[in-house]
Amino acid sequence: MGRVRSLAYLGYRALLAHPLRRLSRRGSGRERFLASYGAEGLSPTSPEDRAVAEAASACISCGLCEAACPLAGVAPSVRDLGLRAAFRLYSKSVLALAASGDALAPCGACTGCEPLCPTGVPISRLVRHLASRAART
Amino acid sequence: MPADGAAITCDVLVVGGGMAGATAALAARDAGARVALARRAPGSTGLSGGAVSVAHDPAALPDAPFGGRAGVVESARRIAATHPGHPYHVLRGSLDRLWTAVEFATGQLSSILAPPSGRNRWLLTPFGKVHPAATCQRSMVAGDLAEAKGVLAVVAPRGHLWWDAGLVASGAIRARPLGAPETRVVALDLFLWEDAALARPVDLARLLEAPGAAEEVGRMLAQRLPRGATVALFPPILGLSPGARVPERVEGAAGVQVAEFLSDLPSVPGLRLQRAVDERLAASGVTVLAGEVHGAAGPGAPARVGGREVVAESWVLASGRFVGGGIARRGELLEPALGLPVLASEGAFAEAGAHLAARPAASLTVRDSRSPQPLLSAGLKVDAELHPLDADGRVASPRLFAAGAVVGGHDQASDGTGMGVAMLTGWLAGRSAAAVARARPVLPRRG
Amino acid sequence: MPEPRRYDVVVLGGGANGAGAARDCAMRGLSVLLLEKRDLASGASGASSGMIHGGIRYMLSDRRVTELACRDAGYIRRIAPHLVFRIPFLMPFASRAEGATLAERAAWYATEVYVGTYDLYQPLKGGKPSTRLSAEETYALEPSLRPGLGGAVTLDEWGIDGPRLCLLNALSAEAHGAEVRTWTEATAIDRHEGRVVGVRWRDAITGERGEARTAAVVNATGAWSPLWGRANGVDVPMRPGKGVHLSLDRRFSNYGIICKAVDGRQMFLMPHEDESIIGTTDDDFYGDPDDLEATSDEVAYLLEGVESLVPSVRGARLTRAWSGVRTTLYEYGPTEDALSREHQLIDHAHEGAAGLFSFVGGKLASYRAQSEEIADRVEGFLGLAPRPCKTHEEPLPGGEAVPDPRELAERHGVPEPVARRIVFRHGSRARDLLLLADDDPRLKLVVCRDEGILAAEVVFVARHERVRRLEDLRRRCRLAIAGCGGLDCARVAAQLVARELDWDADQLRAELRELLEANWRERRAVLDGWQLAEEELLRAVHRGLGGL
Repeated sequence: MGRVRSLAYLGYRALLAHPLRRLSRRGSGRERFLASYGAEGLSPTSPEDRAVAEAASACISCGLCEAACPLAGVAPSVRDLGLRAAFRLYSKSVLALAASGDALAPCGACTGCEPLCPTGVPISRLVRHLASRAART
Repeated sequence: MPADGAAITCDVLVVGGGMAGATAALAARDAGARVALARRAPGSTGLSGGAVSVAHDPAALPDAPFGGRAGVVESARRIAATHPGHPYHVLRGSLDRLWTAVEFATGQLSSILAPPSGRNRWLLTPFGKVHPAATCQRSMVAGDLAEAKGVLAVVAPRGHLWWDAGLVASGAIRARPLGAPETRVVALDLFLWEDAALARPVDLARLLEAPGAAEEVGRMLAQRLPRGATVALFPPILGLSPGARVPERVEGAAGVQVAEFLSDLPSVPGLRLQRAVDERLAASGVTVLAGEVHGAAGPGAPARVGGREVVAESWVLASGRFVGGGIARRGELLEPALGLPVLASEGAFAEAGAHLAARPAASLTVRDSRSPQPLLSAGLKVDAELHPLDADGRVASPRLFAAGAVVGGHDQASDGTGMGVAMLTGWLAGRSAAAVARARPVLPRRG
Repeated sequence: MPEPRRYDVVVLGGGANGAGAARDCAMRGLSVLLLEKRDLASGASGASSGMIHGGIRYMLSDRRVTELACRDAGYIRRIAPHLVFRIPFLMPFASRAEGATLAERAAWYATEVYVGTYDLYQPLKGGKPSTRLSAEETYALEPSLRPGLGGAVTLDEWGIDGPRLCLLNALSAEAHGAEVRTWTEATAIDRHEGRVVGVRWRDAITGERGEARTAAVVNATGAWSPLWGRANGVDVPMRPGKGVHLSLDRRFSNYGIICKAVDGRQMFLMPHEDESIIGTTDDDFYGDPDDLEATSDEVAYLLEGVESLVPSVRGARLTRAWSGVRTTLYEYGPTEDALSREHQLIDHAHEGAAGLFSFVGGKLASYRAQSEEIADRVEGFLGLAPRPCKTHEEPLPGGEAVPDPRELAERHGVPEPVARRIVFRHGSRARDLLLLADDDPRLKLVVCRDEGILAAEVVFVARHERVRRLEDLRRRCRLAIAGCGGLDCARVAAQLVARELDWDADQLRAELRELLEANWRERRAVLDGWQLAEEELLRAVHRGLGGL
């Protein structure tokens, strides 16, 4: 009985309530979606973001890159978290990236780090992408 | 050798710049060959902890005294006898050359490695384990528990939480009945300011290289040393480059022997070793090329490395395992440089042959993480001449050799034979590759 | 053996229902003992999908269930706002043929209506309304979807850190006078003339034995109930269902994607905190809940399901495969998915154990309401004057206010991403945690760069969050859980905990060994690509240098 009643209710919604509601809506589906979630930073992931994420996933936390990074002794965020954080803590989600502040900005693309990475993370390119993404949020 | 940018013709191309590749290149060079070496980035060698592990006695009981244990070569023979998949077993006919290979490699790297003595050294790790190694970096020799007399003082830098001197010392304390010296912990007021307290090992090492820093540490140490102390054991951060002479300077100011214990990650000793390898290669007349080799046809055919073309009579593949990139698993196990079949491993699938590569990950691993894991020891199958074999057991090419972790059958990361296999296979492969290139050249000789 | 202590009620099981019931009873003034044979949230509560969803599927059978579930999800959000985070889901419409058939369009419209009806309940939990997206809009929002889709409907749900939810309930219970013992197993129920009179227990770490006198026992041992029941002479009928999830090392997308597996089951790929989760399976489980591992075919099944809609998931890095066992109500016949997630509080009076109640079924999202039901029953059984339930009003520890991570970062001199993680896990208690770092600046050392764990957090958790073993930290602060697998953090965290809990070197190493073993079980089935290279390093350090 409960099921029949539920189905009847859903039928009412399908034929009457829902179409009325659709009529009174404003904006496209996408606009309404982004209005709901954009403010929280839940934005779409572009193919470039995807590619950067896949490249960052190659980091195996060995710490070799940090040995060549001249910023470690200079910038507190780099000292505390290391260059590694760019592929781990900061880039795992755009929300983490937003919290990275200007930790990524000091990178001068000296590329001293890249020859040291065993798994071939394209470090300079990633840090540059992430820094500009962080600046945008 | 031709100038930058031009194509290179040589006798031996070594793929991989870790211990195995460097030993192969230097051995081939030593035999008179023209050698090129292609390397991309550091691998296991650049991440090692400072020990050169060749073999330790598998038959020794845990409470056997250090002095009573089998020497390095005898230990390797025992491993060969009891581990059928291990490279030492495959090379059991050449194990008499093991010592020559180890002496050769450590001799080439004498700027950083101490000469081996034939017996294992017993070194402390950050985990409080006592680790046997045929030799180690010079800055670590005085920490050999089997040789240290008097009292060993493990230094605890008060300002930094990364290492626990008590944990390190516990290994020596537990090994007292085996012959380890009496051990104490001594706390020093090191790294007490915020920048240092949160710094990574490499930065701490650099701090100690600064003028006066090492001497200051030595003086501090002299004041706090327990009575009878003869050796002070530091965390592995005594300078980044041997040229800065940090251990020597500390020793001078402290009046006792100074050593480092082994390192986990991030590893300053690993960096030092890789730099020493790079420097030796550069100074030895080996042409070092930066870049990867993949999708290549093999010896005799041109290969592109970092924008240059290389043709070599014979090749030594010493590209490492998963960290080095010599073996990869993307759904199935493969060897990216030449597409050779991955056929060898230890443990349950030692004889799995052609079916090894496609098995799901879980079936290639065993529940108890301490047991041998086929997946983590997977690599190329080689014959006693170090030629990689195909699925039918045939030699892929008489001009192609493999050395180091790319050879399957040993878990180079954790079974205590990684460096030994690298040196032995590197030396044998390098000499064989040079010999083949000389004896049966196929490339047109240039003037 | 110490003198037996008297309690109004003894709760067995430290999952969401056990901890929640202990909290509710304690808040109502009962004296409570909570016994958990391992660590809090070691069972299904620690292996759930990590969502407090509103029971959308129940709209078809009983809308009241949906209403209650949404209301309760709203309560959870109110009492622990720092632990929840929004997950927008996309339900893409796939068409078999080129251009959708009329039947397909009708099905899509029906889905849109269904989800649109759920919107009526979203305000109860602060959820956003659904939207209908055209095909073009769908691809604009989620470019990684495979071509050929006809559009989508969106759905809003809350994600949560399940293990911390259980912990906070247990801490709250303690704050209200309850006694919480982890790693302590209830070895036997004592009965006299058909009534429960006590519980005997054994501490697994110290070996200490004890006895609790009580008239009421709540069995919330979840998947262990049938075994436990048999050992204690009562019957707890249940149809346990194993569920496997996979973790990716980072957020694949900010939106969850609902897909269909090869056998038609609904599955998802969703963002969860700073990683992604793929789930889940549901298979009848006849094995030992203490011995649970994901198998290769379960992993392959999940990946295949997601890949059908999101081909590029194959390029993502899997970090672990974890499993749990659901406590589904027993019904012989229906396939697993059709079984109700409804719950039942079994009274064992007719089996000569009056005062023993077993809780079966339920879902994480409704734990609070389920706990309220348990507390009501216990109160009634004990003949006590009923007290009002306040568990929906009083914030859980840390839930009073959510501090601003940026402000904390500046004030205490820690990196902001780390402050963000600390605030997520600890809410208002982040301040107390960071005070530890103020007192001893060495504790600002970042122990884990993957999860943003400070030495101060390890110390805080070890002191204040019922930590008895190193592996407990996996559930408290996600130690060694992420892609790094403990390479960064395991030894240093073990050293810090050893100092707090006074472990000697051997015990430290043994604990480290257990932690690594627990990790290994979750990684075996997914070792591939970069995670396999990570594993090689992990073995070099822990096996090679550590001898563990």
